[in-house]
Amino acid sequence: MRFRPGKIALLATVVASYLFLYLPILHIGLASFSRNSSFPYPPKWSLDIMTRLFSNSLYQTALGNSLIIGFFSAVLSTALAGAATIGLMRHAGRRAPLFLALFVAPLFVAEVLLGISSLIFNGLFLGLQGNLVSAILANVVHCFSYALLIIATQLYRYDWRLDDAAMVFGASPARTFFEVTLPLIWPGLLGAFIVTFIMAFNNLEISFYLLGATPTLPSAAWGALRYGVKPELYALATCVNLVVFLVLLVMFVLMMTRVVTFGHRPERERSAV
Amino acid sequence: MKGRAAPALFLGIPTVFLVALFVLPLLSMLVLSVWRTENYHIIRDFNLHNYYVLATEGAYMTFLVRSLTMATAVSVICTLIAWPVAYGIMLYGGRYKLLFTLAFAVPFLTGEVLRIIALQGLLGPVGLLNGVLMALGAAPLRVIMYTNVASAIGLVYLYLPIVVTVIYLSLLNFDQRLIDAATIFGASPARAFFEVTWPLNLFGTLIGFALCFIPCLSATLAPRFLGGPNGTLYGMAMAQQFGESGTWALGAAMGVVLFAVSVLLVVIVAKTLDLRRTGFTGFGRG
Repeated sequence: MRFRPGKIALLATVVASYLFLYLPILHIGLASFSRNSSFPYPPKWSLDIMTRLFSNSLYQTALGNSLIIGFFSAVLSTALAGAATIGLMRHAGRRAPLFLALFVAPLFVAEVLLGISSLIFNGLFLGLQGNLVSAILANVVHCFSYALLIIATQLYRYDWRLDDAAMVFGASPARTFFEVTLPLIWPGLLGAFIVTFIMAFNNLEISFYLLGATPTLPSAAWGALRYGVKPELYALATCVNLVVFLVLLVMFVLMMTRVVTFGHRPERERSAV
Repeated sequence: MKGRAAPALFLGIPTVFLVALFVLPLLSMLVLSVWRTENYHIIRDFNLHNYYVLATEGAYMTFLVRSLTMATAVSVICTLIAWPVAYGIMLYGGRYKLLFTLAFAVPFLTGEVLRIIALQGLLGPVGLLNGVLMALGAAPLRVIMYTNVASAIGLVYLYLPIVVTVIYLSLLNFDQRLIDAATIFGASPARAFFEVTWPLNLFGTLIGFALCFIPCLSATLAPRFLGGPNGTLYGMAMAQQFGESGTWALGAAMGVVLFAVSVLLVVIVAKTLDLRRTGFTGFGRG
């Protein structure tokens, strides 16, 4: 804007970074839909690799487990993070920084440490074998902080006087929550749910240590990767990438068409009238 | 909600949850680290033997130093790339800003294993890079894959999205009119950047740096599948104590070391900075 070379350098960096990020993804995407999978330029289209992937029963069980982990982790972490955000904004008072520090602490602990420490706690101190429930709970710890941040950025501008108004007119706290707060904040909760679902679904390092022999999609991929990269793994990665992109694309379209507005901003609505 | 129940419900449940499933496991890791493992059995007597091994055996110190170097290098590179990207999106993204940031954040969500697979597709022996070289008639490169450089590229690839997202969020909350104010009062663009934009986004930058540094320090996958024979990092060695070698107690001690280093980093950052002067607005309630 002010001086040209700066703008060009800036935009070049942006473009280069996107290329760096997406080139491998596009490459394996092409590879998994073609017969000449190691260098698909130009691709000879075929669905061989995809059919091989979908007929592999290990990946089917793994997919089921990953879906279970993803769904329950997302539900739990979104609910907990929603409660925690409201608690932080409404009830914490001067102790808010203290609670906030605890709530975001899992962000600053590496996933593998969460996995290993939960394994030690479960295995040695509680005498639990690897199971889905402890894997879900450990994932929730990690997802909780991300969900908290996502919900907090949405609730930051929420006008709490709306709740007070409802209660002045005699609504019970529960009714206020379900009829005023929830309808206004659900996009934030949905965003947190989607993100935490994808995170827990794709998590290796936490789930792996807590599941014992139960396979998940990432751990099955990890197991296969130890014996070298196979085209099936490209196909698997491509499938997951496609689903993730599709979900976020739908979310984005909803946002653009204003079906869903992330972040309720009463002041803007007032000025629009 | 004036009653006593609401705070207990909203703050208490998450707190209890985190204490039970986050703090207690970390404490149990600390306890295990002062026990010892013999023939896959854990013997519960207090000793500091594990830490003695970690401090005296050369290999573990090498791994730690290598991990610290790697994490520092990767985080610095990520921050250096992320700043222009976030700033570029901010300045020129227009109404598609959100789409651009989302596009950057999406790969972060698709899981480390799948992204390592994608990287193998880029850098691997039969990957894109070598494919292009061979198609052009050149000899395939053998120097990149299975070296520390490959690990570093992999880690940058894995953690660049989160750094960009964090710095972008920081810039989003930053009042751009302050730059205009600085230029109106005669500051050059460079001076406005270094005296206004940079210091006011320092907090966000440091958060991004930490969120890259900490996972890099305990990276297990990237060095294993991209790094070479002398690319073992601390986190990878730690994971092996829980897998192949079965020496849980030693692994727990390594975990404590990694955790301590991460905490030290966060404490140093928090102590050296005056948060209120770095664009940290706190968790406001209104």
